[in-house]
Parts: sequence; C-alpha cells; structure tokens
Amino acid sequence: MTPFTYHSPATLDEASALLLESPDARVIAGGMTLIPTLKQGLARVDRLIDLAGIEALYGIETRGNTLRIGAMTRHHDVATSPLVLARLPGLATLAKGIGDFQVRNRGTIGGSVANNDPAADYPAALLALGATVITNRRQIAAEAFFTGMFGTALEEGELIAAVAFPADIRCAYAKFANPVSGYAMAGTFVALAEGGVRVAVTGAGPGVFRSTLHEAALRERLHPDAARSVPLPEDGMISDFHATAAYRAHLVSVMTARALEELLS
Amino acid sequence: MKFTGEYRIEAPRETVWAAINNPEILRQCIPGCEEIACNTPTDWTAKVTTRVGPVKARFTGNIRLEDLEPPARCRIVGEGNGGPAGFATGGATVELTEADGATLLVYEADAQIGGKLAQIGSRLIDSFAKRYADEFFAAFARIVAEGETLPAPTAPASTPAPAPSSAPTPSSAPQPVAAAVPQGTAPSYPPNVPAHYPPQPGWRFDSQSFVIVVLALLLVFMTIMVGVK
Amino acid sequence: MAGFGIGQAVLRGEDRRFITGKGRYVDDVRLPHMLHAAVVYSSHAHGLIRSIDTHEAKQAPGVVAVLTGQDALADGLGGLPPYFMPSDMGGPPGHRTIRPILVTDRVRCVGDRVAVVIAQSAREAREAASLVAIEIAPLAAVTTPAAATTPGAPAVWDECPGNVCFTLEFGNREATDRAFASASLVVALTILNNRISANPIEPRVALGTYDAADDSFILHTSSQNPHGVRHVLAQSVFGLPESRFRVISPDVGGGFGMKADAYPEDALVLWASRRLGRPVKWVSTRSEALMGDNHGRDQISEAELALDDTGRALGLRVRAQQGLGAYVQSAAVAPITYAMRMLPGVYDIPAVHCSNSAVFTNCSPTGPYRGAGRPEACFTLERLMDEAAVLLGLDRVEIRRRNLIPASAMPHTTATGVTYDSGDFAQMMDRCLVLADWDGYDQRTADSESRGLLRGRAVTTYLESAGVFNERMELRFDPEGNVTILAGTHSHGQGHATVFPQLVHEWLGVPYDQIRYLQGDTDKVAFGRGTYAARSSLLGGTALHAAAQSAIAQARTMAAALLDAAETEIDFADGLFSVRGTNRSLAFVDVAKAFFRPMGKPGGLSLGFTVQGTAGGESPNFPNGAHVCEVEVDPETGAIHIDRYAVVDDVGHVLNPMVCEGQIVGGIAQGLGQALIEQVVYDPENGQLLSGSFSDYGMPRATMMPLHIQSELAEIPCKTNPLGVKGVGESGTIGSPATLVNAVLDALRSVGVTDITMPLTPVKVWTAIEQARQTTRDAA
Repeated sequence: MTPFTYHSPATLDEASALLLESPDARVIAGGMTLIPTLKQGLARVDRLIDLAGIEALYGIETRGNTLRIGAMTRHHDVATSPLVLARLPGLATLAKGIGDFQVRNRGTIGGSVANNDPAADYPAALLALGATVITNRRQIAAEAFFTGMFGTALEEGELIAAVAFPADIRCAYAKFANPVSGYAMAGTFVALAEGGVRVAVTGAGPGVFRSTLHEAALRERLHPDAARSVPLPEDGMISDFHATAAYRAHLVSVMTARALEELLS
Repeated sequence: MKFTGEYRIEAPRETVWAAINNPEILRQCIPGCEEIACNTPTDWTAKVTTRVGPVKARFTGNIRLEDLEPPARCRIVGEGNGGPAGFATGGATVELTEADGATLLVYEADAQIGGKLAQIGSRLIDSFAKRYADEFFAAFARIVAEGETLPAPTAPASTPAPAPSSAPTPSSAPQPVAAAVPQGTAPSYPPNVPAHYPPQPGWRFDSQSFVIVVLALLLVFMTIMVGVK
Repeated sequence: MAGFGIGQAVLRGEDRRFITGKGRYVDDVRLPHMLHAAVVYSSHAHGLIRSIDTHEAKQAPGVVAVLTGQDALADGLGGLPPYFMPSDMGGPPGHRTIRPILVTDRVRCVGDRVAVVIAQSAREAREAASLVAIEIAPLAAVTTPAAATTPGAPAVWDECPGNVCFTLEFGNREATDRAFASASLVVALTILNNRISANPIEPRVALGTYDAADDSFILHTSSQNPHGVRHVLAQSVFGLPESRFRVISPDVGGGFGMKADAYPEDALVLWASRRLGRPVKWVSTRSEALMGDNHGRDQISEAELALDDTGRALGLRVRAQQGLGAYVQSAAVAPITYAMRMLPGVYDIPAVHCSNSAVFTNCSPTGPYRGAGRPEACFTLERLMDEAAVLLGLDRVEIRRRNLIPASAMPHTTATGVTYDSGDFAQMMDRCLVLADWDGYDQRTADSESRGLLRGRAVTTYLESAGVFNERMELRFDPEGNVTILAGTHSHGQGHATVFPQLVHEWLGVPYDQIRYLQGDTDKVAFGRGTYAARSSLLGGTALHAAAQSAIAQARTMAAALLDAAETEIDFADGLFSVRGTNRSLAFVDVAKAFFRPMGKPGGLSLGFTVQGTAGGESPNFPNGAHVCEVEVDPETGAIHIDRYAVVDDVGHVLNPMVCEGQIVGGIAQGLGQALIEQVVYDPENGQLLSGSFSDYGMPRATMMPLHIQSELAEIPCKTNPLGVKGVGESGTIGSPATLVNAVLDALRSVGVTDITMPLTPVKVWTAIEQARQTTRDAA
C-alpha cells in the first residue's frame, strides 16, 4: 500500500467533487474489497475518500411502498432491521448470509452494489426485486445498473446514495456458498413481483443475471419441482478449479427450488 | 488456460483483413488501450490501462508474430508484464474464412498467467478473459461492418497520421469507422521501417491480433482482484 | 500432589497470555534501528534466470540494500540441505539438493527466493521489491509425481533425469507375491493424498541481529526446532561455529512440522544484518506462506490387499510416489519412510511389500506435516479394508476384528520390521462403537432419508509411531529452591509449560507455582531437538525423569549431610527427605537451598544445583485407537454434514487429560480439513500456484466440524519408557481423513459411487453421484 491522502467529506456532493479531482482517487465505503486490493498492491490511490462521515447515507426507512436503504448501511443492520424483517424478510436473510461476522459489520450495501462482484449477494436481490439505485445524480433501475462482472452504469464521479426496494414483495434467497471462500457458488433470489415471478442469479455466471428459463418454468407452475427440472445450459456459467460449469448450472436450479420452498412455506 | 471464439463479421474478408491491420481500429476496440506501437516490424507494443472493480492497472504488452499465411491465418505470440501483479504469456491462432460474403473469424488462444494474479485471482480469470474477448470482437465486428468503405492501410512507413481527437471505448457506442478512424496508419508506427521489410499487412495483422487476444489476457491478469467482499 | 500432579487436568498456564494478547512472538520483538526485509519471489515455476535488474528498486524511497544470489555467493554463503538423506542412514543413494538462500541461475518453483530488499519500513521494502525486474526464460514445468515420472518429462534437476530422487523399499517381495498368488480376493485402489499447507496462525517471522562486537549472530525465528535451525545456518550457510549463533524462538503460534526447518529468510535476515550493521526483520504474509512454506503430503499410490475368503488379510502391496517439490528439504525423508513402514497398522498382515519413490516436481518443497507419513499409511490401509469388506459382503467391523493384532500377541513385529510393545486394538474399537452409538444407526438413517439425505458411517483404526531421536532436559535451581525446567523440546501450542511442571511437581514435590518453564533459546538451553513427531511426552518426559532422578540423588547426598545421617538411611517421598525411623525430615526445596551456601563446597558437592537428564529414544511408542464418523450427504448439492464423531485413543499413561483431549480434537479437525476442503492447487500446465490466498485455499472452518467430538482416553501403558506414555500430538490427524472418506463413500454406495479423491468438496461429491447415475443409466 502506498501513501495517500485521506478525506472525510460531509456530503455526497463534496465526495463526488473530490473523486473527480484525480483519476487515482477512490471512495471507500466498507472497504471489504478495496483494502485487500490495496494491500496486495493491485491498485493504488492518491486520495481515499471515506464516505463514513456522510450522515445522509445511513439508515433504513419506508416511504409508502418503498424500502429505502442508505448506501452506508451495513449488512448486519439490514439483517437485523425490524423494518426489513417486516417488509422484505428475504432481503434480511440475504444480508445475514453475506461473508462472515467481520464482513457483515463492516461491509455496506452501497459498496457491494457499486463493486458488483460477480459472486456478491446483493445484486441478485436488486435485480429480482426490481430495485432502484439512487445516486447523487439520478435514479437507475437495477436492470440497467448492472453491466456484467464488476461493471455498473455509474459514471465518473457518480456515487450511490441509497437503494430503493419495492416493499412487501414475497421473496426468498438461497445460496450455496463456495466452502473455500464463502462466496456464492450459486445464489438465487426469487421474488413474486407484480409482473410475475423473477429469478436473479449470482455467483454462477460472470455477473448477476435473470434466469428467464426458470422464470418461464415457474410461470407455468409455481412449484419447487418446476425449478428443479429446468436444465439450465452450462454454457456461460463460470468454470474454475473450484467447480465446473455443469455443477454451477445445476446449483442454480436447486437454489431456485430451495428459495421457492422457503418462499412458499 | 485455453479459450476459443468465433465471430461472423458482415464484411468481405479483404475488408476484415485490412481493418485488422489498422492499428487505430484495434486501439478503439481494445478497452483502455492508449496506443499500439510498432517498434520494429516484428516487435509491437501496446499500452493499456484497465480498471475492473477495485483494480486499476497499466501495463505494457509485447507481441511478435510467428507463422503467416496471409490473408487467411496467422499465429501471434506475446507477453505482458504488469509489474508486481504478475505476467502473462500466450499465443493465438486467428483464421479468417469467407462465408456468404461475410467473414468468419475464428481464434484459438492459450495463455499462461503467472505471479500474484494467478495466485489470488484465479476465480475471475476465465470469466474475465471471455468477457474481454467478447467485448473486443463485438466492437470489432460492429466497426468493420459499419465501415466497409474503410480504405486499406497504406504501407506502414508512409503516412504518419494524427491521433484521433477522441477514442470511444467499446462500452460506449462506437462511432462509424469512417468518422472515427483517420486514414493512414497509426501514429505510433515508426516511419523508419527498413526498406527491405515487405510492407504486407500480414505482419501487422499478426501483432495486432495478438493484441486482441493476448492483451485481453493481460488485462485479465491486471484486473483480477482479491477475493474478499 | 493435589490438583497439579500427573494425570490432573491442570489448566494451561500459558493460555492467559495467549488469549489476552500478551504472548511474545517474534513480530513482537522490535529492536532499535531495525530494518525490514521483503523477499522477491519467482513468478515462474521453472526457468533460467536471464537477468535481475535491481537498479530501480535501489533508487526507491527508504531502500537500504537490494541483495541477490550473486551477492550471497560473493560473501561465501552456502545453502540449505535436507536434515538427512536415506543414504545417511544406510539407505539407498539419492540426489541431495542444496537450496540456495537466493537462486542465481535457475528457478525451480513459484516462490523460489530471487532477491531481498532491505528498507527502513516493511512497506517501503515491499514497494521496492515489486520494482526488482527478473527476466526468466521459462522451461516446461511438472507439478505432480505422476507427470514428473512420465517419460520425456522435464527434469527439475539436470543431475537427476527422470526426477526420482530415491526409492525406499520395505518388506518381502517374494513372500508378498506368494500371498497374492494364494489369495481368493485382491482389492486394488489408486489412492491420492492431497498436497496441503500447514497454515499456522502465526506465519513465519525472522529477525536477524549481527553483533560486530563479538562477531556473533542472534536470530529470532518462529521455529519449532531452534537448535536444529542454528546447526543448519552455522554449518551449511555461514560456515561458522555454532557457538557464534543464538537462535531464539519465543512464543510460536503453531508449526505442525512446517516450522521444523531453517528457511532462506532465516539466513537472509542474519546476512543482511551483518552487511548493514542493523537488525533486520522479515514477516511473511499469508499469501507468501501459502506459496513459500514447505507443504505436506502429496502422495499417490497403487495399493493392493490380498485376502482369503474369510476376510483375513494375507498380503499388502503398495507402490507409491511422493512429491518432493523442487528441493529435498527439512526431514522430507521422514514422511516418505513412515508412509511405508507404518502401512500394516493394527492388523496382522503376514506379508507386506511396499516402495515409495521421492519425486522432484516444480512445486514448493514438501516436508513433515502433522502425522508425517502415518496419515498416508492409515488412509491407504483403511480405504483397502472398507473396499475389501464391501467386495466380500462382510460387515466393516467384522473384517477389522478378524485382522486385528490381539493384545495377547504383544509384543508384535510387523512385516515392515516395526515392533509394537503394547496395545489392545479390539478394546479401542469396541469402546468407540459404543461411544458413537453404532447400534442406533438404522434409526438415524431413517431420519436422514426422510429429509432426502444419504447417511453413511465408518469405523477406522489407526496406529501412530511417536517419538524420534534422543533428547535432553535440564533442571536448574535457584538459591531459594525454586526450579526452572530448561527444555530441549519446544512447545508451540502443545502445553508443555503446563505439563512438564506437573511432572516435576509430582516427582520432586516442589510447589507447582515455584516451577518455571523455559524453552526456545539456544543460549539458555544447552541443547535440544525441538518438538515434532509427537515426541515430547516420551523424550522430553523421559529426559526430565532422568534429570529428576539425578536431582533426587544429589539432593539425597545433601540431605544426608544436613540431617547428619547416612545416605542409605534417607528416604524420599512426597517431596520430603526423611531419616528412616525418625521424625527428622527436610523438604526438597530446603535441601536445594543448601547448594547455595556462601562458603566452601556445599555438602561437598557443588555451588549451585543444576542437573540434566537424557532420553535415548531407543524405542518409539505406538499410540493407537479407533474413530467413528457418521455423515449426511445432500445428493442434490454434494454437501457433507458431519453428524457424529467419536474417538477412543490409547495414549498410554495420561499426563494431563485436558491437554490430551485438546490435541486429539484439534488433530481430528486438521485431518478433516485435509479430507473435506484443503488442497494446494498448481496449474498442471505451467506450475503456477492457483491457491495463493484463503479465497482459493480451503482453510477449514469451525462450521464444517462436528458439533461435538466425543473423545475418550484409554490408558494402556507403554512398556518401553519409564513414564508409560504414548504420544498424542498427531493421533487425531492420522485417523480422521480415512474415517471421513469411508463414511462418505458408505453414504454414496447406494447411488453407485465407489471412490472420490480428497478433498471431498461438494462439486466432487455431486459429480461422482452424477457420473455413477450416468453409468447406471448407460448400463440399463
């Protein structure tokens, strides 16, 4: 890690302005990815802009049918929030299963969403629930926000302020964690939204995606067995020394079924 | 690591051949590519800055060509060094075949990634390599198909060209080739190529195709990040 | 000896400082003017070094020096040899390697040390290390013993074409061939024992100080064998007398055999300190540890068991290869030997023939790792036993019972030439079956089935050979009669600071809190061999016993003088010297004080009271026992849940049951880690390390372990040492991999799976199930 200057702005606009001042400036939310990357020497920053001091980025609140979670809200806070547990319990379950205790006490929803790790949990929830990412400049639908492995629609200087979820949607998340890393080998978020069932998958492919095959099968018959019997093609699934693409494809169906079992129980 | 790809480009083979020999087109197709320079006829250098997730790295790749069968086939080998992050070596065989007025581009690449990136980033390497290659070829196919009127590159030594005023990245909409690509060869091509050097496009084809595939791999190396959420 | 004597579950006194952050590890030692080192490692698995450019690194901020192998050669430094080769002990010849502290011409594995950067801060050293440019012309690399012995494979050492460093052979080939010819069943398996990394909680750290005033060196290093490190550095690297080196290994956070050897960094910090005149510290990162520490296991074997139709074993034949990595280091020969000699285990197998080839590969060196060959032997044998039971349609308990060496047959000499002094193997198995509620299995199976899970179980036996080499312990009294144990062994998690004082307290009657324990400093401890191979209770204990006997003998002379009686009239019991038939007595402590009288030669003996004892180590001991494991497998995901685990261990005379149980439970967890998830992964194409962090190396987690391991100790005293002790440090690790794998395969038998190689990751289990189903479909 090389030396850098540390900034602790009080507003998102101030943070954004600082970020635009240098191509090597970075913001830090929870630091769960950034800090190890810096320590490994795989990235260098000249200024580190800490979002921790921006009061407006914290908290969970409901506005009508919307559950709004501030970008700096930690996973543990989402997992234990009475509001989330009452209005979107599937999201609380997801948050409770992220990483380990240390990660849940430091990592934030904004950091996770902005990073869009292909095996991160939150992107699946945003995509399945049709959430909206609220930035300092605009609102972006989840469908448009995630653009593949580590890719997002965020522009230079654009920062996430909050994520808005439609509340009171029946949903559930099932994850099969890679026993080595704890990352999702396959994680499936199933939501019974107004437009029909939505299935979003993380960990199995090179980025979060909606499994239209599963959605179609479940539209026909909303039953775990319908999900289990979907032969998801392994083409496009991740294959590495941890697991084959065939296994990941299979897990997507199993996890979809298990999420549905949870949801229908 | 091995990977293969096949792309149909809606342009005649000669056009594809010419385009693939145009460093400026390649530069536009490679995300984060700042320049492609031909130091000697068989020694090429590409400078790329890439940013994926939390990782940002700038690296240099060197390329040389080995077997040439212009205008149909070539083999490119090369290596890239990302300093503390590691290194990459690799090769790619690229074939162009005619297909109903269009061109089928098939590549087979193998790459070796070494050092820290292999040690801590293996979970992401394959996916990123595929994504990167796809991004490149998608951009390439689009640009070439839209720019069929693209003039063939002239002899490498002849016309240094001005740098383009703006270089669209593949993620943004590519501009039509005719507008985006200045005529002539890349500005970095050295004007002092030996006279005996045959100015066949194939030479450049090789090195640049290598850039296509192997640099994609190099980028992969550079963009691997630590596996912590 | 209420509360603190032998056999008491005395709480570990050292834990207070460990769990309150007050331990003193090497990285806690910070010396004035200290510099920091960062090592530049090879990124290539195999290649010729074309150039090393240190220019840019030398210009970097804070950098004091950048040293290469050429500098080391210029300074006359040598390299690191193995502790021993088979030929040193009358065995066959082999290619002995010397590992340079920095390589100069050729790299042979990822992680080979190429240069070292010394800077004002650790951060600056690391930054500069990344600026050292090494140009390497790659050579083809091999990563497995099988690949390395394929005809035409690249040679790791040009001097050793074919890559086989040496081959060890045990048993009787003709007798074994005859046994196989007469067998009614031959079971054959190919068995892989995965390469794993020790991952102690404290990575290796070295701090070197050169004292120009008297031309001597002090090395603080996280080692389990400080005298061994001193010897190697003095003799093989520096070529200077050992007396010029002081090696200090204070608190050490785990070693598991991996820290029993000197590493290049130990030499580098001393050398750099001599050149620069300031202390130099190096601290390994976790990724550097996964890459550069010696690994464990890495064996492949073709194993065959011949049986008659009643399930009696007639013969055992094993052809094994063990990966050495790029260098023969440490006691690498030990696991290769034990893996063969201990193959017969607790079974009476009349004919055995086995061989093990040590094979060079372009990987980090392997060395002893908790169990060191004995887990490999146990795994091979117990997999064959289960397979034989299945093929014969015999109950898996019954086939073992028919082959166990009966207690009445002790002492028993195996076909590989090992003599067991004691043991009641059937009793261990029977007690373990009861402990695990073996008979209640059917009901639990029904319960698992109702939840869609496959239940399986296994019972296995294990036998360990514990203790090697001789040992020395010293007792030193102070003027107030307090005693300090100066241990030649080295506790790095084993609880010696608690258990050895228990022994001295029991034997001498010195109050427990007046006994101090000291280890890990070659200037304080005259000599010792450190701790590994479950040796300390036997060798440290026996040497301490000899020292205590010597102390009693000298104190008896002193007591006789003090009590004005003949030595023959003096009795010693419960810490008191008393004159027989009188009420005159003196406590041991008071007798010890008399050695410090200011005038004359106290008691006609000596000023001061120091005794030492030696254990010859003529015979190892043979801890043994049985494990039972029950698992549930989720056929849909391949996930394994360990539902039940029981273990009964014969550890001989128990010195501290709590410490014993801690060793056994920890050992089981470590073995389960190997079986479930751990593996060092190299890219077979180019030798790149792919498991370079805990994101990719499967470090076992608490949640993977059984909720409760039911452990019971059996005390069948060893007959070849005065304490009656048997080792305990490696036992759990030896038995648990085979138990887990057999249990999982039992669960999967119903779906047609017959074998899976370790580690049994979910993807492997699921894939095996899928393949078995496919095979069944194809057959139908």
